[in-house]
This record gives sequence, structure tokens and C-alpha cells, in this order.
Amino acid sequence: MYWFRFRVPHTVDTADDRRPTPPWRVGAQNRNTLPNHLTESAGTTGMTAISLSGVTKRYGDIVAVRDLDLRVESGEIYGFLGPNGAGKSTTINMLLDFVRPTTGSVEVLSMDAQREPTAVRRRIGVLPEGYDVYDRLTGRQHLEFAVESKTADADPDVLLDRVGLAGAGGRKAGDYSKGMRQRLVLAMALVGDPDLLILDEPSTGLDPEGAKEMREIVQREADRGAAVFFSSHVLGQVETVCDRVGIMRDGELVAEDSIEGLREAVGTGERLIVTVDAAGEGDLTEVRELDGVESAEVDGDTVTVDCDAEAKTAVVAALGEAGVEVEDFTTEDTSLEDLFLHYAGEESDVTAPTTEVGQ
Amino acid sequence: MSVEAIARKDFRDAVRSRWLLGLAVLFVSITTAFMLIGAQFLSGSEAQTFSTSAVLGFMNGGFTTGLVPLIALVVAHRAVVGERESGSLKLLLSLPHSRVDVVTGKVLGRTAAVGVPLFVGFLLPALVAALGPLQFAPLDYLGYLLLMVVLAAVYVAIAVGCSAITSSGTAAVAAAIGVYFLFTVVLGGINNALPFVLGLGGGPSWLPVTIGELQTLLQVLNPTGAFKIVSREFLAGTLLAPPSVEQQFQQVTEAAAVLMLGVWLVAPPLAGLARFERADL
Repeated sequence: MYWFRFRVPHTVDTADDRRPTPPWRVGAQNRNTLPNHLTESAGTTGMTAISLSGVTKRYGDIVAVRDLDLRVESGEIYGFLGPNGAGKSTTINMLLDFVRPTTGSVEVLSMDAQREPTAVRRRIGVLPEGYDVYDRLTGRQHLEFAVESKTADADPDVLLDRVGLAGAGGRKAGDYSKGMRQRLVLAMALVGDPDLLILDEPSTGLDPEGAKEMREIVQREADRGAAVFFSSHVLGQVETVCDRVGIMRDGELVAEDSIEGLREAVGTGERLIVTVDAAGEGDLTEVRELDGVESAEVDGDTVTVDCDAEAKTAVVAALGEAGVEVEDFTTEDTSLEDLFLHYAGEESDVTAPTTEVGQ
Repeated sequence: MSVEAIARKDFRDAVRSRWLLGLAVLFVSITTAFMLIGAQFLSGSEAQTFSTSAVLGFMNGGFTTGLVPLIALVVAHRAVVGERESGSLKLLLSLPHSRVDVVTGKVLGRTAAVGVPLFVGFLLPALVAALGPLQFAPLDYLGYLLLMVVLAAVYVAIAVGCSAITSSGTAAVAAAIGVYFLFTVVLGGINNALPFVLGLGGGPSWLPVTIGELQTLLQVLNPTGAFKIVSREFLAGTLLAPPSVEQQFQQVTEAAAVLMLGVWLVAPPLAGLARFERADL
């Protein structure tokens, strides 16, 4: 079912922004379908939030990131996906000048990330990966430090309230739970209304409700005009907010498109999971011949059918005609997740796309 | 601005650790004990009042040059690498701070973290001294305190430098222990052994300087040795006094010692930075 593949060329690209879009860069073609808030804020566009060109990072013999080209426009929400170890954090660490590229150029807000790291960080907000808070300082003191460092004029209590930590500002951050720490660092990232938010696995440690709040904050920041670049190894966390996603695998960008583009490319397929009394391969012959059915599998009392949404009723009916008693059925819109897993190179069955797998 | 923010944050963080309270208590007790014993001992042996400076001179050997460097090394050796290992360095460097700011701020913050308990620890004993039989010399007392802070700052600078070079906390501990033994035990030992190794008297003829001069050179190069020279002369009131002809060597030594303290204050953090600036975190 994966009849298309995006390939990132293995040649080193020049930094020329006006070069024609290569046909294999599907994502680039979708820029004219950017959502409203991007075209509305056209006054501030013309500036690129992130521009990586020909970036490679080697650690000895290991290539963490290979010849990466990536652009994020100002005001855009970009989801950076891939399994753990795909090179997402290395890429983000290069944006922040924690790690220096072996070759290639890294620009953030049109500034060289290696030459002007402090100027860059003055205008961005960061939720890094693998951070730790200062155990002995309170939440409010963390924010005061961020406000002072950015010479911003922000009220720590307002920020605490925004991330759902109102009332916890006086407590030592060492006593915070993982989720509270994540909220605190997100609040630090919001200090000074940054032009770009870089969030590395922001949902880590958050419960579903917290992850939803995080997405709402991201959306509000984008509405304000900020670009958001955030990574995740779970597609479900990014698809509702992202204008575009890029999928990393083994240090390379293997796919890049808008969510709509991905959905279109994969088709409107759904997965129908039918619980039956008993079924054999023979019972599926009818089902497989139906229009809009892509595949059908049986495993004991479960029949799994990938099909168009319109074909669902016909599938259930066909099963009934084959003498199979249908006890229950559920549908999953998992085609995007399948796509992600395909590119991410994972074969495991993920049935709950919004469930955090954990680090 | 950035350095100041980091230094203040670092001090705030350190000040909340029980370490600092413990240090202040330790300093208060040790100094008070020295003052009391000193008062007894000195006033008992001779029938006249003695200055607090005499007691400080007495403390200079063991307490100050032995304990202050140790405490500074303990307080500062994880300053950078500790944050690197825990990951809080990523939080720090996500804000608009350069790595130079981090190292400089750490030196200042940790110096304050040792300096403040030192000041507190010497205030109470000063009262004891002033009310007791000792003649309180406030300017000398304050000056000596500042010198001790300089000594602490030098060892903090060395520790922070080591801390910035390495990426492992264990290596930082090893470096701190090494530094302490090198400067307080090994170099002093070598200095004492020199006359016996090279032969008593003027020393071997191939040596362009006398053994005494060689010993002075070694002492000046060692931060603890340099501090001993400076503090001794300061308490005696002869630090960088205008030289008579025969004291010229002495004055050059003192100037060199002051200079070396400055070098030790600046060079280790710079060396640490050279590595830290290029490191992948």
C-alpha cells in the first residue's frame, strides 16, 4: 500500500534558496496550501525560521545526521518525527549550538547558529531533550532566571498559570513530577514571546490531558506569529497541530509533507477490526473481492480489514453472508500511523496512536 | 549581565544547599577556637596584648592554606561538569548565555558560595577577639579576609577550569584531588627535599641559581605558596613595601607572588573554556 516514497537526495545541496523545487520534495510543493494563519501573517514572512543545508554530523564512525536539508518558514508549525535514535535530537542540538555539524550550514532566524548562538537564543524559546531542573530552586526562581537572562519583561506567575502550574511556583523544582518539570521548562521557553519555539519531545512525561494543553499552547504561540519546530516519536501528538511534518530515519529526512498531503497520498483508508465468533481464510474471499478493500487478514476471532470508509458496511455484510457471526467492530484511522511506522522502520503494531511509548 | 545572572543563580542554588550552612558553622568554630586559644597562649606567654593579626598569622599555616583550598575545590569541582551530566546545562544554554558566560559566572558564583561563609565565619570570632584580651586590628582583619577570598577564588577558578575541560564527573573529582595534593603536599614536599637532593649549601655548580632562589621560585609558582608569601607580608605590614637595596629580591618575590595569584585566577578557566567552547554537549 505504500506506493510512494520521498527520497532526500544524497548530494550536497547549495544554500541557494531560489533553486527550483525538486520533484521529490513533496513537502515543498505543498507550501502554497499553507493554513490561513500563515498566509495572514504574510507581513512577517520572508524570514526563514530554520534553514539547514547539507548538514552532516558524525560521531567517529557513526553518522547521526546525513546530508540534511530542511526549511521551516516563519510562523509555521513543523512536526519533526522519527523513532528514538533517528537523529532528531542531534539536529535540534545543532540548532541550539549544543552540537556542531561536521559539514553543512545551520541557520536559525537567518542567523548562523554556530557564529551567533546567543543572538539566536535571545529570540527563541527552547524545551530541550534530556534536561534537568535546578532541584533547590523554586519554579518561580527558574522563571525569574529565564526572564533575567532574556532581559524580558514577563510576569513569572502569569507564565506559571499559562502552563498549569499556578500555585506551585513557590515549591522547589526538585519536588516537581516529571510532567510538572516539563511544564516549567515550557514556561521558561515562552518567556519573552520568542519568534521560534524549539521543543524536543515536549509531551514526554505529560498525561493525555497535559499533552493536549501543550498542543493548545503551541497553537496559540503559532497564532501569535511564532514558528514552532517540535519533535516527537509519536505521530498522534503532532498531526492535529502541524502544518507540515518531516520524518527522520537513520539520520535522513525520508518524508516531508503537510498532514493533508500525507493523508491524500495514503488515501482515505481505514482499518476495520471485527470481532467474530470464528473465521477462517475461506470466509475472507468475498470480502477481499469487494470494491475499496485493500487487504483482509484473520487471526483467531479477529478480522482486520484495510478499506475505504464507504466499504465498511459491505465488509460486515459480506462476513455475515459467509456465515461468520459479527460480535463487535471498531474502526481506526491508522493509515497515517502506518505511514509513519513504515518510514520510521518500525514493524510493531501500534493500536493507540496517541499513547506515549516512553523514552 | 549574563554572567551576573548565572553567578546569582548559581549562588542562590548553592546557598540553599546545607553545605554552605555547614561551612559557616565550621569557619565560626575554627576561627573562634583559634582566637580563644591564641588569646590564652599569647597573653599567657608574654605579659602584653597581642594583635588579632598575630592569631591570623598563626592560622595561616594550617587552617587557611590547608582548608580553604580544599573547601573551594569541593564546592566548585562539579560546577560545570555536574550540570553537564545532569542536563541542567542544556537549560542554561537554551537561554541567551554563551559558554564564556557560563564559566565566568560559575567562577564568580562559587567564589561567593565560599566567600560568604568565610565572612560570616570570621565576624563572630572578630567580636570575641575585640572583647577579649586580643587587640583587634580591623583593617588587617578585613584585609586578611579578602585575601582568603582571593585564595578561595583561585582554587575555585582551578576547579571550574578542570570542570569545564572534562565531560565526566569522576574525572573532575580526580582532578580536584590531584590539584589539592599537588599544591599542598607534593610541591611543598619537593621544596623541603630540595636541599637534601641537590646537596646542602649553594647547590651544584650547574645550577644558575641558589637553592634558596629555586625554592622561592617553586613556592611562587604554587598558588598556595604564592598566597603564603602575600599573606605573610600583608600581616607583617610589609607587602610590596618600598625596597631597600638588600630587600630587592624580596620585593620581586612578592610582586611575582601577587602576579601568580592573578595568573592562577585567570588561566585555568581560560584553559577549560578552550576545550568547553569546542565540545559537543
